[in-house]
Amino acid sequence: CVNDLNVTPIDPSTIRTFDQDAVFAKVYASLALTGQQGPAGKGDLAGVDEGTSSFIRLIWNLNELSTDEAICSWGDPGIPELNFNKWTASHDQVNGIYARFYFGVSLCNLFLEQTASATDTKTVKQRAEVRFLRALNYYYLMDLFGNVPFTEVVSLDPPKQMRRADLFAWLEKELKAIEPDLAAPRTNTYYRVDQAAEWLLLARMYLNAEVYTGTANWSAAKTYAKKVMDSGYKLNPSYAQLFMADNAGAFDASTNTAPQEIILPIACDGVKTQSYGNSLFMIASFHTSGMPAWGTSEGWGGNRARAALARKFFPNGIPVGTDLTKLTAFAGDKRAMFWGWDIADSKSTDPMTILNYSVFKQGLSVTKFSNVRSDGKVSNDLKFTDTDVPLFRLAEAYLTYAEASFRLGDAPTALTTINQLRDRTSGSAPALSSITLDKILDEWSREFYFEGRRRTDLIRFGYYGGSDYTWDWKGGTAAGTKFSSIYNLYPIPATDLNVNPNLKQNPGF
Amino acid sequence: NAQQTSVSGIVKDAKTGETILGASILEKGTSKGVITNMDGEFTISASPNATLVIKYLGYLSVEVPVAGKTKITVQLHEDAIALGEVVAIGYATVKKNDATGSLTSIKPDKLNKGLTTNAQDMITGKIAGVNVVSDGGAPGAGAKIRIRGGSSLNASNDPLIVIDGLAMDNEGIKGVSNLLSTINPNDIESFTVLKDASATAIYGSRASNGVIIITTKKGEKGAKPRVSYDGNVSMSVVGKTLDVMNGNQFRDYANKLYAGQTGTLSKLGTESTDWQRQIYQTAINHDHNISIMGGLKNMPYRASFGYTNQDGIIKTSNFERYTGSVNLNPSFFDDHLKVSLNAKGMYVNNRYADTGVIGAAASMDPTQPVTSTQEPYKTTFAGYWQWITTGTTWNSLSVANPLATLNLKKDIAHSKDFIGNAEFDYKVHFLPELRAHLSLGTEISDGKQNLFIPTTNASDGQVGRTGYEKIYKYNRSLSYYMNYAKEIGVQKFDVMAGYEWQHFYRSLNSHYSALDLTTNTTNNVFKTESYLVSFFGRANYTLLERYLLTATIRNDRSSRFAKENRSSLFPSLAFAWKINEEGFMKNNTIFSDLKLRLGYGETGQQNLGSDIGDYPYIPVYVTNIEGATYPIDGNYIQTYRPNPYNKKLKWETTTTYNAGIDWGLLNNRITGSIDGYYRATDNLISRVNVAAGTNFSNIVTQNIGSLENKGIEFTLTGKAISTKDLTWDISYNATYNYNKITKLTGTGASTPVADRNISSGTGNYVEVHQVGFPAYSFFVYEQVYDRNHNPIEGLYVDRNGDGKINDADRYYYHNPAPDVTMGLSSKLVYKEFDFGVTLRASLGNYVYNDVAANKANVGASGVWSTSGFFVNKPISAMETNFVGRTNWYFSDFYVQNASFVRVDNITVGYTFKNLFHAISSGRLSATVQNPFVFTKYKGLDPEVFTGVDNNIYPRPIMAVIGLSLNF
Repeated sequence: CVNDLNVTPIDPSTIRTFDQDAVFAKVYASLALTGQQGPAGKGDLAGVDEGTSSFIRLIWNLNELSTDEAICSWGDPGIPELNFNKWTASHDQVNGIYARFYFGVSLCNLFLEQTASATDTKTVKQRAEVRFLRALNYYYLMDLFGNVPFTEVVSLDPPKQMRRADLFAWLEKELKAIEPDLAAPRTNTYYRVDQAAEWLLLARMYLNAEVYTGTANWSAAKTYAKKVMDSGYKLNPSYAQLFMADNAGAFDASTNTAPQEIILPIACDGVKTQSYGNSLFMIASFHTSGMPAWGTSEGWGGNRARAALARKFFPNGIPVGTDLTKLTAFAGDKRAMFWGWDIADSKSTDPMTILNYSVFKQGLSVTKFSNVRSDGKVSNDLKFTDTDVPLFRLAEAYLTYAEASFRLGDAPTALTTINQLRDRTSGSAPALSSITLDKILDEWSREFYFEGRRRTDLIRFGYYGGSDYTWDWKGGTAAGTKFSSIYNLYPIPATDLNVNPNLKQNPGF
Repeated sequence: NAQQTSVSGIVKDAKTGETILGASILEKGTSKGVITNMDGEFTISASPNATLVIKYLGYLSVEVPVAGKTKITVQLHEDAIALGEVVAIGYATVKKNDATGSLTSIKPDKLNKGLTTNAQDMITGKIAGVNVVSDGGAPGAGAKIRIRGGSSLNASNDPLIVIDGLAMDNEGIKGVSNLLSTINPNDIESFTVLKDASATAIYGSRASNGVIIITTKKGEKGAKPRVSYDGNVSMSVVGKTLDVMNGNQFRDYANKLYAGQTGTLSKLGTESTDWQRQIYQTAINHDHNISIMGGLKNMPYRASFGYTNQDGIIKTSNFERYTGSVNLNPSFFDDHLKVSLNAKGMYVNNRYADTGVIGAAASMDPTQPVTSTQEPYKTTFAGYWQWITTGTTWNSLSVANPLATLNLKKDIAHSKDFIGNAEFDYKVHFLPELRAHLSLGTEISDGKQNLFIPTTNASDGQVGRTGYEKIYKYNRSLSYYMNYAKEIGVQKFDVMAGYEWQHFYRSLNSHYSALDLTTNTTNNVFKTESYLVSFFGRANYTLLERYLLTATIRNDRSSRFAKENRSSLFPSLAFAWKINEEGFMKNNTIFSDLKLRLGYGETGQQNLGSDIGDYPYIPVYVTNIEGATYPIDGNYIQTYRPNPYNKKLKWETTTTYNAGIDWGLLNNRITGSIDGYYRATDNLISRVNVAAGTNFSNIVTQNIGSLENKGIEFTLTGKAISTKDLTWDISYNATYNYNKITKLTGTGASTPVADRNISSGTGNYVEVHQVGFPAYSFFVYEQVYDRNHNPIEGLYVDRNGDGKINDADRYYYHNPAPDVTMGLSSKLVYKEFDFGVTLRASLGNYVYNDVAANKANVGASGVWSTSGFFVNKPISAMETNFVGRTNWYFSDFYVQNASFVRVDNITVGYTFKNLFHAISSGRLSATVQNPFVFTKYKGLDPEVFTGVDNNIYPRPIMAVIGLSLNF
C-alpha cells in the first residue's frame, strides 16, 4: 500500500532525535577521529582518503611540509606540492582541511541551534566550549585561507564570504563573550576547554594580528600570554614526556606530569580512539625500521627534518664520526630529539642533507613523538597510539610573551622568559645570553618543531612567501628557491567556488 | 463408439529428420492427448476413425487421420512465416514476431555451452548489446553485466533481473557474489533481455539499465516422468603468471644497485623461491545435476538437484554449492485457472582466498625462504618466514609471506538463499477474453562469513582476529494485473493494467575481535529497507496483422525519495511494421521475415547503491562504534554524527529512442536484426560537493548532470549447412556503444572516481568523470619517449604550454569500456558428433596496468624500501628502468589497449542412445574453457571491468569432461 512509502530509518546505528551529550562528544571527537568507526569507516568527509581527512594531520601537513621544518618522501597526491610550495585550488589536502573545518563549523552550529533555549549550568558550559571549538575552526580558516565563507546557522543557503579582518574581529568578540561561561583554568575535566585555552587562542591571534588585520597588537598578545602564564598551568620539567604514550598522566594511570603543561590535548587511545590521522600519523610517518623502538608496529618512513630545521640545533653541522644515535646529547638541548642514518646507505655526505627528497633516510629523523610510555609500561595497542596530541600547551604563552615584549622594546623580559622556557627547571637547554628577533623565531622552531604551527610563525616574521629566506627544497629546488607571497594564503578550493556564487578566490590562484 | 485402438508413432522435423521431443498429439474433438518422449515417440489410444492433431511450437500443426493404422510417422514443417517462439516480456509473454521493442531471447544451447557454473556464463558474448565481464577466476565469481553501456555514474548500472516473474534486488548476499550465482544454470529454460525503453518501461524506475528475464524449466502436461543427469569433472590451471626475477637474478641486481652498502645487502637471503608457484595449484572441480520432470494429470512438475564443488587455482579457495528447485504448474477448471509454483533453494560454502597474495607473490623477495625453523619465525609466524622490524614485530609495511597469508586465514562464508513464487492466472469463466493474474513472491537469504586469523598471521597486527559478518535480507513482492484481449475483425486489442508492491529488507551485523576476545573489538549492526509501489498498464493494438502499436505507462513510487519527489511516470510507445506481410511483398522469395521497429520510452533509476543507501533525504545521526569513542568527563561516551542529506533528491530519468529491423532470409535459414539507439540520462545522481557550511559533509548525493549512450547492435544467425546428417549453425553479434557525459553541475574540475584508486601512493586515482568525455575516462599525463621508444621517467608533455608540468597537464585518455564487442558461436553436428566453438571480442577497451605501474620502481628506493624490506620486480620493469624519481604512475604509458579476442570454449561431444536399456540417450563431451586470449595488452589478462588491473583473481584454463544421461 502507498503508505508503506513513508519510511523511517530502521538502522539501529542511526537515530533521528538530537542527543545533546552525544553531539557534544562528537564536536570534541572530530578533533581526533575521522569518522564513526575506528580507525576508519563511516567517515565524516568524502572525496579524500579517510586517514588523511583528520583535523590534526591536515593542519600538520599544511603548516609543516610547506616550511623549513619538514619534508615528506611520499608521492601521495598533494604531498609533493606541499613540499615544494606549488599547490593549486584543486589540491587534496587543501580541499580536505577546508572540508574538515566546515564539517566542524556545521556540527557546532547544529549543537548551538538545538540547545539555544537551554539555560541550565551544564548546557551553558557546553555551549561555551562548542562556541570555542567553532571559533577554533574559524581561527584556522582565517589563518590558512584568509577570506572565507561564514555562517552561524544550519542552512542550505550558500554562506557569504567574510574578509579576514572582519573574521578576526568576530573571533575576538566571540572568544571574549564566552569567557564567563568557560571553566576557570585547570578546573575543567581533562580534554575539555577552559579559559586558559581561550586566552591562549586570543594571544595567538593578537600575536599575528598584523598579518590578519594589517594592524599589530603586541600589547594584547602580551597581556593574554601573561594571563595564561599565570593561570596555574606549569611547564613540565621533562620536555620528552609531553609527547609520550602516557602524556595524559593520571588519565593514563601514569606518573607522567605532562598534563600540567598541556592546555588542550587531542585525546588518542590505541583501543578506544583509533585513527590513521591522529598521533599515529605523527609517530608512524616520522619513524621506520631501524630506529629505536617507537611503540607502534607502524613505521611509514615519510616525514623528517629538513636540514634547515636540523641546523637550528646543530648550527655548526654534524662532523663525520659523530654518533648519530646520540644526537640529543651532541646538540646539548634535550629538545633535539633526532636520529641520523648510516651515511653509506643514505648516499649523502652529511646526515642533515637531503639530496633525494623521496629517500626517507636522507636527512634527520624526528623521534620527538612516540607511543612509548614514560613509566615503562606497555601501551594499549601494538598498532594504534595512546599519545595525545598537545594542541595547545603552556610553552606557547612563554614564547608569545617573549616575542611580544621584544617587539614592544623590552628585550630583557624577552630573554628572561625564553630562558625560563629553555630551563624548564631541569636544565633542558642552556640559557641564551642575548636575544634578537631572529633568535626568537629560531626558538619557536626549537620548542615547537613538528607540532603543526611553523607556517604561521614564518609568515609573521616575513620569512615565507616572497621572502629571501630560503631553506633546502624550498620552492622545489635542492638549494631552495623563493616562491611568491600569494602562497601565504591557501586558495579557496575550486570545488567550493563552483557551488557557492558568493565566493571570490584569493589573489593569485 | 467405445472401441479404442492403440496408435503409436514418431514425430520428426521434416527437414532435418531429427525427432521432436515434447510435441503434443491430441485426438480431435476430445480432450485426450499425449506428448512425445525424448525420442519423439508417442502412444495414444484413440478411436480408429479419429483424427490426430499434432502440434509443436514453431512448427505448422498437422492433422493425421488414424484410419485404422496403428503406427504412423509424422513430419512437421517449421512455421517459417510466423515464428511461433514465445518470449517473456514484463508481466506477459508475446510471440517473438509480435514484439515491438528491442529484445533478445535465447535458450541456452545444450551442446555448445562450455562450463557454466553461474547463470551469466550462459549469456556471455551471446547477445548484442549485453556485455558480461566476470569478476575474475575465483570459483563462483560474479560478473558485471552492462546492457547498452551504463546509464548512471554513482547509482547502479546493473540490469534488473526478473526470475520467474519475481523482480530481484541487486544487493549481494554473503558468500555469493551476485544473485545469478544462486540459480542452477541447468534449471534455466530461457533468458530474455529487454534492451530499449519501449520494452523495459513497464518496469519503470528499475529499467534504465535493461532487464534480464529468466524463465526456469517446467514440466509438461501428461508427460511420463523423465529423469536426467548432467555433470562434469574439470581441471583448472593458472594461465600466465608475472615474469619476475628469480633468486639469483635478484641477488645480482641488488648487489649492483647497492654496491658497498653492506647494511642493506646483508638483508638478502640465499634461497631462490618462486612465490607465484607457491600460491597457485591445479584445481579439480566437479558438478552434478539431476532432474525429474513430467506431468501428473493436470499438474506438470519438475524437480532438480545440483551440486557443485570447485577448488580455486589459488590455494585454499573453494566454492561448494547445493541447489534444489521444484516447479509445479497445475491447472484447474478446464484450464481457466492456471497455477505456477516455483521454489528454488541454494546453500553455499565459499572459502575465500586473500587475493592480495597475487600481488604479494610477485613482490616478495625471491631470495628468502618460504619457511624457517629459526626464531622468531618458528614461534611467532608459525614457521613462515616474514620481514621483521625488531624482535618479533612484523614490518607492517613489508610484503607479507603470501603462502602464510593464505594458509593462516580462514575466511569462509555459509549462505542460504530461497526464491519462491506463486502465480495464479484466471481466465474469467463468462468472459474468457479477460484474465486476472496474481503473483506473490519472495527471496530470503541468510549468509554468514566467518573469519579466523591466528596471531601467527603477520599481516593482521599479530593479535589474531576472529569474528563474523552476517547478512540477512528478503524481498517480498505482490503483483496483480488484469488483461483483456479482443479481436474485432482485422483489429486486435490487448489491454492490461496492474499494481505491484515490493518490500526490500537487509540487515548486516558483524562482530570481530582479537583472539583474546576482548581487545580490538568491533561490532557493527546495520538495517535498511525500502518499498516500491507501482501502477502500470499496457495497450497493444494490431491492425491487419502487420501494424503493431504498444503503449505502456508505469507510475512508480519509491521510499528512497522525499514525498514531493517520490512519484514519477514512465511512458513508452512502440510501433512495429511487418513489412513482409504487405501485399507488395507477397511475391518476394528473399525475405521470409521483415519487420521494422520504432520505439521511444522513459525509464528511471532509484537504486542508489549501498554507498548512498535507502534514506538519502532523511536527516539522521549515526552512532559510533568501537575504536571511535572520545573521553568526555572521564568516560568514553556515545557520539552522534549528523549525516548529510538531500531533501530534493529525485529520480534519474533515461530517455531512449530505438529503431530496428528484424529480417529472415531464405525461409528463415538466415535471420538477423539491427538496432540503433540513443539514450540520454538526465538528473544523474552523483555525489558531489556542496557549498561549505551548508550540510554535514563536503560531498552530498545530488541530481547533477546528464550523460548519453549511442550505439548500434547487429545480430546474425544462420544455418550454414542443414542436411539430415550434417548441420552447421553460426551466430554472430556485434555492438558499438559510445558513452559521453554531457553535463555535470557543481563540479568544475573532473570528478575523480573514488573506488578506482591505484596502488601507488595513498588515495591516487586515474579515472575521472568529465563533461564531454566518457564516464570513467583515464586522466593521466602524456608520456615522452626516447629515440628507442622507451618512456623517459617523469618527462611529460606540457600540454597547456605554460612551461610547467603540473595537474593542469593531465588529459583525458580512453576509458575502460569497449567501443565494440562481438560474439561468435559455431556449432557443427555430424550424426552423433558435435563440435562447438564460442569466441568473444572486445575492441577499444583500455586498462590501467596497475601491476606494472606499482612495480615499476627498480631504482634504489624501489627495490629496498625505506621501511626495511626488499621488493621483487617484473623483468619488464627493467626495460622501463624507472627509479622512482617522480609520479611516474600517472603516465599514459600504463593505460594500455586491452582489446582482445577470447576463445571462451571449444567443445566436442558424442551423443548416444539406448545404453544398457536403462539410459534412453546421453552425451559425452570434452571442453576446453578459456584456452586462448589474443591481445596486445601487457598485463596478465585484458578483461578488467574497473579498468584498474590489480590483484585480479586469474581466470583459469580448464579442461572439462561432461556427461549427460536421460533415463
